[in-house]
Amino acid sequence: MNFQFPHFSAALPEIFLLSMTCLVLLTELFMKYSRSVVYVLSQVALLGTAILFILGFNNISYTTFNGHLIFDALGSLLGIFICIIACIAFIYAKHYTRDRNIPNEYYILGLFSTLGMLVMVTAQSFLMIYLGLELLSLPLYAMVALQKDSPTATEAAMKYFVMGAIASGMLLYGLSLLYGVSGSLNLPAVASAITTMPEKQHLVLVFALVFVIAGLGFKLAAAPFHMWAPDVYTGAPTAVTAFLASAPKIAALGMAFRLLITALPQIVSQWHELLIILSVLSITIGNVIAIAQSNLKRMLAYSAIAHIGYMLLGLLSGNAQGYSAALFYILVYSIMSVGGFGMIVLLSRRGFEAENIEDFKGLNSRNPWLAFMMMLLMLSMAGVPPTVGFFAKLLVLKAVVQTQMVWLAVFAVLLAIVGAFYYLRVIKTMYFDAPGDPTPIACASDTRLMISINSLALLVLGIFPGALLEVCRVAFGL
Amino acid sequence: MIPFTHYLVVAALLFAIGLAGIILNRRNVILLLMCVELMLLAVNTNFIAFSNYLGDMAGQVFVFFILTVAAAEAAIGLALVTLLFRNRGDIDVEKMNLLKG
Amino acid sequence: MNPIPISMLIFYLFAGIAVLSAIMVIASNNPVRGVLFLVVTFIASSGMWMMAQAEFLSLILVLVYVGAVMTLFLFVVMMINIELTSQKRKFSYYLPFGAGIILLLVLMMLIALHPQYFSFGSMPSGVLPKGANTELLGKVLYTNYAYPFIVAGVLLLTAIIAAISLVHRRPRDCKSQQVTEQIKTRRELRVRIVNLPSEKKED
Repeated sequence: MNFQFPHFSAALPEIFLLSMTCLVLLTELFMKYSRSVVYVLSQVALLGTAILFILGFNNISYTTFNGHLIFDALGSLLGIFICIIACIAFIYAKHYTRDRNIPNEYYILGLFSTLGMLVMVTAQSFLMIYLGLELLSLPLYAMVALQKDSPTATEAAMKYFVMGAIASGMLLYGLSLLYGVSGSLNLPAVASAITTMPEKQHLVLVFALVFVIAGLGFKLAAAPFHMWAPDVYTGAPTAVTAFLASAPKIAALGMAFRLLITALPQIVSQWHELLIILSVLSITIGNVIAIAQSNLKRMLAYSAIAHIGYMLLGLLSGNAQGYSAALFYILVYSIMSVGGFGMIVLLSRRGFEAENIEDFKGLNSRNPWLAFMMMLLMLSMAGVPPTVGFFAKLLVLKAVVQTQMVWLAVFAVLLAIVGAFYYLRVIKTMYFDAPGDPTPIACASDTRLMISINSLALLVLGIFPGALLEVCRVAFGL
Repeated sequence: MIPFTHYLVVAALLFAIGLAGIILNRRNVILLLMCVELMLLAVNTNFIAFSNYLGDMAGQVFVFFILTVAAAEAAIGLALVTLLFRNRGDIDVEKMNLLKG
Repeated sequence: MNPIPISMLIFYLFAGIAVLSAIMVIASNNPVRGVLFLVVTFIASSGMWMMAQAEFLSLILVLVYVGAVMTLFLFVVMMINIELTSQKRKFSYYLPFGAGIILLLVLMMLIALHPQYFSFGSMPSGVLPKGANTELLGKVLYTNYAYPFIVAGVLLLTAIIAAISLVHRRPRDCKSQQVTEQIKTRRELRVRIVNLPSEKKED
């Protein structure tokens, strides 16, 4: 029996989050009518976890718990951002959930889902990746259906559930074959087993890889595995959409890093080609179909598909420069995404969802500050300087050009220009159309403060991207 | 001793049947859940066969966890099915069209 | 020519039952029948697992999976009455398409899963450690796999919370005081001041 006592300090943030979640659970049980206590405690849990990650952030990397958990800069960075983004999504959700009788389980399930994301990005074995993925997904399925009397929300949850279950089935089938050829569940051990494998055995590896990439594609909502995303984003209550469209994307990229870079670096040329297909399809389908949408949530869903395509450009370049570009892209994207859905939450009120582009007509005359914030979000998504969206696109394109794939970069730029059209249309609607409903917009001060910070962050990061760029490079040892 | 590929073939068949069932199914949602169970059964069979032929317990441990998670997944899936039924009065896949797509 | 060993025959029997009843699961119109065929598939697979020396898991599959999860399926199928009339759609209509998918997938798998691609060929490369299967599993589960074990526990807790919060509803005829609604009410909703001119008594 070769059992080593684990270093519990490596899992300190996860342990803290789990204990706090249990505390929130008990609070909810015994203080039935106190929404605000549950809300504040959940925020404390998330911020505390983020602080623990920040305090522990350094360049040392070691595995513990018998090789199931890795402590490294990449995991800590992803963890910090997951917690912060979840925290922002909760702030937007506060008034929305109260007005629509969405129960307090929103926060509890959200915390469990966050825990799943943290487990997944610090995983170092197939087993932990799978468990983290399920712990991330199961609460999300339930969160989508939390508005129990809404038929659309229930239908969206059902679609999300079936697609998610198929995705994990595919992923597992691929993982089982990888286990069969390598004889280990541990990611670095799999990588070293593949190194010593004769070339002729690589066929089964490629076969397994197809299943793994399909599972990853479902989770990231990359085309051609994107069918669920528009329906789920539209059908779910907007506060839930804000959560599931942002933080889980970071975690899914973390999973891709662990699976593809840690476990399968030897067959990089194979997954490189598969990812090119995924990326080209996502960029095309996302940008083109988004133009035809009149529902803003649906448009943002297609824009999410396109953004995932751009992010994959960084991943498929297959070097540390490209990986850090992909990481930078997904972190920036999650800030934009949570902000975009946060804006829809902000403009909605009880009995009215501002989810059509029509509802943003003349926003400038109703509330100039919010219109300005929305403009920043849209410009950043379109990739217009000086917002940070521009830098993110620039970095992934640079990574692609460095790997001698100029055609891919040109293609991506052309479709980015096509994509700019529908973002600019929203801006046009806000500034040049007459409002349908001239009443000024009243919103709670805490949500307004948050959306201001959220949007201004995009501008500030666009002007001073240095610090975030630096940590993204440190995460890959550059 | 049974040749090891026999297990893989049976698992591959079960997996393909599950996947085909999901694609073909135009009837009710419960059948979709059953097809997912079939896919997971195929994966489990794979792991057990590998575990036996590699002489390594890790595969069996993985199956242990897949069974746990699949039970949790089934519970949530069935909860969603009852919710769907309450809201709409049927669980027909073809009638799930409130959201276009 | 060697006769086929008895263990092979038993394996083929189980495998045949598993595959056939799996096909029946997706072909049957009646969901109750579908669940029962799924149970048969599970029991047959449990036999195959037993032959692959996974005794504990094979028994768990029958006891927990068939005993609990499939029963849950049956409960739900019975609870919601699905009109059978709308489901009498021709299965044969989709059959060529389905058979095509299955054939394609299996062919691909057969090509990729040839024994020459695995380091151990078709016969075992190692043997499982000696001892009772349950004991071996238990020994690693609480030591080397302690972290996944805890996470799996959290996952089950999450599933409980999610399932209850989705399905639970307040009793309908429960008359409780809604304090928030009471406080939020406005005067105009409750009291209406009517200005009535006083009437003079006429004599």
